[in-house]
Amino acid sequence: MAAWARAARALLLDVSGVLYDSGGDGGVPIAGSAEAVRKIKASSLKLRFCTNETQATREKFVKKLQGLGFDISVDEVTAPAPAACRVLKERNLRPHLLVHNDVVPEFAEIDKANPNCVVIGDAADNFSYANLNEAFRVLIGLENPVLISLGRGRYYKETDGLKLDVGAYMKALEYACDIQAEVVGKPAKMFFESALAELGVQPQQAIMIGDDIVNDVGGAQQCGMRALQVRTGKYRPGDENHPRVKPDAYVNNLAEAVDLILQQLHE
Amino acid sequence: MAARRALKAVLVDLSGTLHVEDSAVPGAQEALKRLRGAPVTVRFVTNTTKECKRDLLERLTKLGFDIAENEIFTSLTAARNLLEQKQVRPLLLVDDKALPDFTGIATHDPNAVVVGLAPEHFNYEMMNKAFRLILDGAPLIAIHKARYFKKKNGLALGPGPFVTGLEYATGTEATVVGKPEKTFFLEALRGTDCAPEEAVMIGDDCRDDVGGAQNAGMRGILVRTGKYRPADEDKINPAPYLTCENFPEAVEHILEHLLGERE
Repeated sequence: MAAWARAARALLLDVSGVLYDSGGDGGVPIAGSAEAVRKIKASSLKLRFCTNETQATREKFVKKLQGLGFDISVDEVTAPAPAACRVLKERNLRPHLLVHNDVVPEFAEIDKANPNCVVIGDAADNFSYANLNEAFRVLIGLENPVLISLGRGRYYKETDGLKLDVGAYMKALEYACDIQAEVVGKPAKMFFESALAELGVQPQQAIMIGDDIVNDVGGAQQCGMRALQVRTGKYRPGDENHPRVKPDAYVNNLAEAVDLILQQLHE
Repeated sequence: MAARRALKAVLVDLSGTLHVEDSAVPGAQEALKRLRGAPVTVRFVTNTTKECKRDLLERLTKLGFDIAENEIFTSLTAARNLLEQKQVRPLLLVDDKALPDFTGIATHDPNAVVVGLAPEHFNYEMMNKAFRLILDGAPLIAIHKARYFKKKNGLALGPGPFVTGLEYATGTEATVVGKPEKTFFLEALRGTDCAPEEAVMIGDDCRDDVGGAQNAGMRGILVRTGKYRPADEDKINPAPYLTCENFPEAVEHILEHLLGERE
């Protein structure tokens, strides 16, 4: 780790693939990650969890992570669903939701009658032909189709293998309707900026740690932050030859990243 | 343009050119007979994701057309040829009705993915299965990339969006095998001993039939039947070699003008 790490005042951590690998059974923690989070909290560094996970409300999500041994609370999490709700309210948009059943409560206070836009999240098994067709028909019937996507990830890793993420289905609807979606999760600049605002630090004082070369690393760098890619989760060796995005450093896992950063801070 | 050689092959679109739904284009059966009297190879070429050759043949025979199964070349045939060429075993996301065209192709332990129009297969589990195969290097073959189609109760998603989603997730590009792809027209000529410049395509779709064929080096004749709408012939550049009222008129033109040319 280079000397630039000494400027760090805050860490932003991706969750899935960095803290744990998700799965139908709740998932399994990645070795050393729970201990790494404790080390960050014991240090002078501020901490924020930045997730694109939209398969559950933040409350349920945090509970699951606590069950896996992580020291984490709801007000430390930046997630796309609350960001989407702010956009919907600001623009008087009434969404048709194509999301996971468990994240629907995040939209409880939003008017959903007579929809004039579609919000798409990681709907997993709800990504059936019938549901996708329903969303398509809402969009194609609108004079100005608005598609809001809770992220643009290609895939993520679950305990039983890689799974298609919301980005693939966002692209499907974009192609079908000849439109461009508005992304509210990572890698949207606004998303990282709101996390930095919560932390009260400047971009150059923050380091993002994630397993997604484009959405974590690329998105954070676009914002002026440094970014590390972990070789866990969805990481594949081919990521190291990515044509556009190059992380400031590679680390084997979160534990190694935290040890290296803390070492720099103490030098 | 270089001097044209004498015509050796005629490619004919089916729906909209020989017939419109369940009626033959008037005079088309007779015209086909006259065409067969000339020293040219005739092939019938069509984009289909659902109907296998056997079903197409049955419909055409009922309408009084004299056609053999091995003269029909469809986007499903093109997909099959590509699978054989690459010697791969496909995961077939196609309609059950299309399966007869893949008879004899091994599908165990798949290392390729073929996507047609198969709403019943476009669920999350099957899409994930396809996604993982492609990520591991399996080629993605799309019968075509239509965005949507019209059903009695409204619009419905076609295969295109699902192909696009898989392309995005895996960072790869699908091989599209149907019209208007150049390879489709070249494959249709395979075994005819005929170069593209020695072939003409007759169809009612200006972009997919005429534009595609001309892009492959053939001549294209647009007919004003089927899906033809006025001014369709202005949609492509270069313009169609010829625009005719219907298939019989196109055949007359071929018999009168295209057979005698010599280098």
